[in-house]
Amino acid sequence: MAESFKLPLRPIIEKRDRPDSLPRDIAQINAQWGSFRELSEAGLREKIEADKRKDQWAEEDEADTRAAELDDSDRKEQLYKRRAEIIQYALQAHMEASFALDFVSLLLSKHNPRQAETSMSPFLKTAAPLGSLNADVVNPPPRPDSALRDIKSVSRGWRLQSFNNAANKLLNAGSRLDTEVAAETGYWNEVLAVKEKGWKVCRLPREGQALGVQYGFLEATPIFRDRGLAALRRGEEGRLVLDKGLIPRKAQGVRVRVKCRDRIIGCSEVCRPAQDAETIESRILQARDTLFEEELFHEVMREARILGSQGVTTRQNLVCVPVSEEQEILLDLVDWDQDHASAGTAISSEHNALADAISHSIRILLTYAHRQNLRRRTQYPPPLAPKRRPVPEYQILRPIMAYLQHKSHIQWLETFIGDLRRVLESAGIGCDFKATDFSSIGVLPPSHVVSKVEALVGVFLAPFESTFSGTLTTPQSSFQVRIRTSPVVPPFGTFYDISAHLPQFPDVQPPSRIGLQEEVAEAVTHFVMLDIASSISLRNTQSRDASGGPGQQATGQLAWEVAYPHHGELLAVDSGGQSKKMKVNLSREELTVETYSLIRADGFPNPVAARSSTLLTQTWKPGSEPQPSLADFVTRASQASA
Amino acid sequence: MHELVLFASVPSHQHHELLQQLAGLTAMQPRHRLERRLIFKAYRRPGLINTRGGTGRDVQGADIVRLNKMLNGGMFYTQVIGPISEADFHNTKPSSSADPDHPMSHDEAAGNSYDYDSQPWKLEFRDIPEAGTRSTITARLTASATLPRGDIVTPMDAWGYSFVTEYVVEGDVFIHNDIVIFLHRVLQYPSHGQEPHEPRRQLPSFRDMSPLERTGGYILQAAITVQDGSNQELMRTASQHLFGLREQLKSVVRLEHADRLSLDTRAK
Repeated sequence: MAESFKLPLRPIIEKRDRPDSLPRDIAQINAQWGSFRELSEAGLREKIEADKRKDQWAEEDEADTRAAELDDSDRKEQLYKRRAEIIQYALQAHMEASFALDFVSLLLSKHNPRQAETSMSPFLKTAAPLGSLNADVVNPPPRPDSALRDIKSVSRGWRLQSFNNAANKLLNAGSRLDTEVAAETGYWNEVLAVKEKGWKVCRLPREGQALGVQYGFLEATPIFRDRGLAALRRGEEGRLVLDKGLIPRKAQGVRVRVKCRDRIIGCSEVCRPAQDAETIESRILQARDTLFEEELFHEVMREARILGSQGVTTRQNLVCVPVSEEQEILLDLVDWDQDHASAGTAISSEHNALADAISHSIRILLTYAHRQNLRRRTQYPPPLAPKRRPVPEYQILRPIMAYLQHKSHIQWLETFIGDLRRVLESAGIGCDFKATDFSSIGVLPPSHVVSKVEALVGVFLAPFESTFSGTLTTPQSSFQVRIRTSPVVPPFGTFYDISAHLPQFPDVQPPSRIGLQEEVAEAVTHFVMLDIASSISLRNTQSRDASGGPGQQATGQLAWEVAYPHHGELLAVDSGGQSKKMKVNLSREELTVETYSLIRADGFPNPVAARSSTLLTQTWKPGSEPQPSLADFVTRASQASA
Repeated sequence: MHELVLFASVPSHQHHELLQQLAGLTAMQPRHRLERRLIFKAYRRPGLINTRGGTGRDVQGADIVRLNKMLNGGMFYTQVIGPISEADFHNTKPSSSADPDHPMSHDEAAGNSYDYDSQPWKLEFRDIPEAGTRSTITARLTASATLPRGDIVTPMDAWGYSFVTEYVVEGDVFIHNDIVIFLHRVLQYPSHGQEPHEPRRQLPSFRDMSPLERTGGYILQAAITVQDGSNQELMRTASQHLFGLREQLKSVVRLEHADRLSLDTRAK
């Protein structure tokens, strides 16, 4: 009903009375064209065409061309003349205008002296007193009928024109409103769609008229938190435009690369295919992701600066984290669509997985930091003090560094102990090693204070701990290596705690907190060597006990006594008073046992004199052809002298 | 420590709406709080105050002045606050759902949930608000200390405080930067004639608690604590923060300072 209702806006133009128009037209034609007979349709059309084609500036152009023909001096003279003319005209116009102004001012000064005075010329003020001129309405002389008719028709024409204009304006305004309404509807529909997706839509704080959508993270650092609000503006045809202000348009992301000996061997996935990038939803998502990534890089950079003492270096747009001696992790902020496969890369899927894992971890750790911020923010604040609480750096790189460091240390220790085990096994010595990696990461204690997710991440911020334990050949002797890496609290880095339980050498304990791998290797080797030495002497005792007789063995074997345990030296004296020495040498690669015969030096209770000659040598290496075991060797050495 | 406070009264019909508005303003969920508040009054133990005798030479003149001031100065009411939870109240289920056969056993089980002996306590001292200086804001000296758990009357008595009465405060806490916003109301215990002379060891049913303000209205309290009350700049910053909050909440509630004498904690 409302649509069908049409209000005629244009004035209805009445048809003129036909009869009197023709004579009038003829009269007009006669006046305009001279004779009616010379008028033809073709001639009129030509005339119209010519009018259309005629250049507006043609006359001036003609004048220009004429001027160009004149020589310079004439032109200059003419220029001055024209200039003088222009000035004269201008002056005249000015004079007339001021006369008119003076006249009107004087006339007005009768009724409105204060205001009129301001526009009066000083001469007039002195010449004529204010209000000395008055105006009055006089009866105009009666106009002739024809003039009245003219005025009537002219005013009728004006009125018609005005009505037309008004109608045009109204119709234009109507159509403009139509498009406006359509655009506005589209805009609000899109805003509603955004709101229904769960985004927070609110009024902009500084711009009360505009709507904004909040996609940022409330717990982020203030500069990033405040950037998480973009205006939703109406663009062309009511399309929603996300106005992010001065932020770079490009979507960016943090890229993680693994570098090994100056070669990039792994790169994390940064590029996410931008599916239907035109929808507002995806643009908001992209803005949010970029904001998150920028904050992530900002925080990584901030943390990297305090980690200079641990070898972390920063460039303008790069953070370099050393993990082990040859491996480094590079973090940088790159555009999503940048070509990641740069030259000289040998990317392996394994290292890609590592890089991906790191890139996921840093994001999880940042969100964890956000949660911690929320927790801190909603606690009772401490009393206001002149010193503000400093915002601590988030823990993003440190847990990752600690984890990777810890892992590389575990790997090293595992290979070392594996090597050692192979050496021992090749010599027929049975031993048992057990490793508990990351024993600190165990079962989560149930807690109602911290949510499970936060507790899970919290575990990775605590110091990492792994233990290796092994039992040795001699009964009841064992050793344990505890590896501990602390990401946050000093002392940073990885430390080894070795404890040994050797019944034969109760006083021997290694130094606590060893930092260097070489020292750890030495200590462990030393313990195993001590154990082997004592097991050789113990074996003798056992066999002696088994034979039943004290003193010299019934079997005629030598009794080895541990003489210098820390040098791996054993001594034995045979029935003839001849001393023999056995030296055990253990390293990561091999186990060597040598026996010497010693010449007793007179006057010394112990045979410390130089060895005379090597009697027997045996070396065990893993991977070599099977050889008699250590036990066989000892038996042989014991019997060789007999 | 100093405390700057503004108060507003909130009618009960506005309570829910205000909670939502505050949650939006502070960007956090309200933290519900229930507190037992015990009122203690200081009294002078006859014959105990004797500063002249027995002072060693090591007590300097200024110390004696301070000691005198502390011992002979004004006497104050203090509050002892203990956080509780709704589960601590003796919850009797509606009779329709309760087991009619074993009402006693149910009561016992529910009644035992509150353990008075492990109730943590905190001593809160509030001075009378400062006069005149900041007439648009309530500023007062505060101090708090953690007290031993459980029976509190004995140690308080030893310090010269006697138990007066107790009530419960129920409300929600919001944190807005440095400002603690506490929207709360005072609940009274159901009265059975004689008011007990010591804190209750059992709590009645929560539904039996009646609000002190009969209409069920709430008090909105916005407080900010300052470490050092003599630091004028800090006090100014703190009051500006509070005024900022007052401006933000202007269209919802009218935060204003309280009448000084109504917050008088001096014991006469």
